[in-house]
Amino acid sequence: MSDIERLLRHDARIELPDDGFATRVIGALPARAAPQPRTWLRPALVMGSALLGSALAVTLSPQAASMMQGFQDLMSLRTGSSGAIGGLAMCGALLLSGLVLALNDD
Amino acid sequence: MTSPAAPEDAALVRAVQATDDRAAFTQLVHRHQSAVRTVLRRLTRGDAGLADDLAQETFVLAWRNIRHFRFEAKFSTWIYRIAINAWRSEARRKRELLLDADEDSPIEEAAEDPPDIVSRMDLERALATLSDGERAAIAACYYADLSHEEAAQALGIPVGTVKTHVLRGKAKLRARLAAKEET
Repeated sequence: MSDIERLLRHDARIELPDDGFATRVIGALPARAAPQPRTWLRPALVMGSALLGSALAVTLSPQAASMMQGFQDLMSLRTGSSGAIGGLAMCGALLLSGLVLALNDD
Repeated sequence: MTSPAAPEDAALVRAVQATDDRAAFTQLVHRHQSAVRTVLRRLTRGDAGLADDLAQETFVLAWRNIRHFRFEAKFSTWIYRIAINAWRSEARRKRELLLDADEDSPIEEAAEDPPDIVSRMDLERALATLSDGERAAIAACYYADLSHEEAAQALGIPVGTVKTHVLRGKAKLRARLAAKEET
């Protein structure tokens, strides 16, 4: 270690007296360290808007009848119809996006 | 200094994360206030008032964000990064901060080592003559004890630039302090 490095390290180690600094810091702290992370909020917003968009698309598209028929097929466990497969795919995509969002922790 | 019976930083951080334990956070402030304030004094060219304001902001930010601390680095490293960021934001507000500006001039070679006895004031004055980048690199590596890589990350500049700044800064300090001794 060179002399200049020794000087710098020595200077860094010199203890500064607190002089009420810690008291000022503690007095300035907000009530909570951080808000409780609302992990459900973003997935709920995205899923909600995706569901709303899907519902509008199904209702307003010319294929609405077959999609509605597809959901009726699903309710009666007839999963082979094209409408049922479309409905299943939509539900699967929504579920997957919800899972991805829920696990996305940043 | 930490006494042998005192809880480790990690235990105090966990207490704050779990229950917003102000007593635990107070211990962390007591333990790190001197180092954080010293780093900021060097970064702010010895402006003790500004340094203390930034140090207070640093600890408040640490309190707000402590739930995001994941123990991937030491608590001290984390808080130094917050302090450096606070200084960078403040400096940017006031003027253009040139952390990665590299001078073309060769690194100064001081013929002599600095004198054995250098007052803190002389060192502070010599540090204040360095460029922003050199001072920041020296403060990060020697005062905040960050590695070159950690300093580069904290300052937002390439590792090579940090190394150059440190080399150049030390050479300038050596020259300034040696010159001071001659006068």
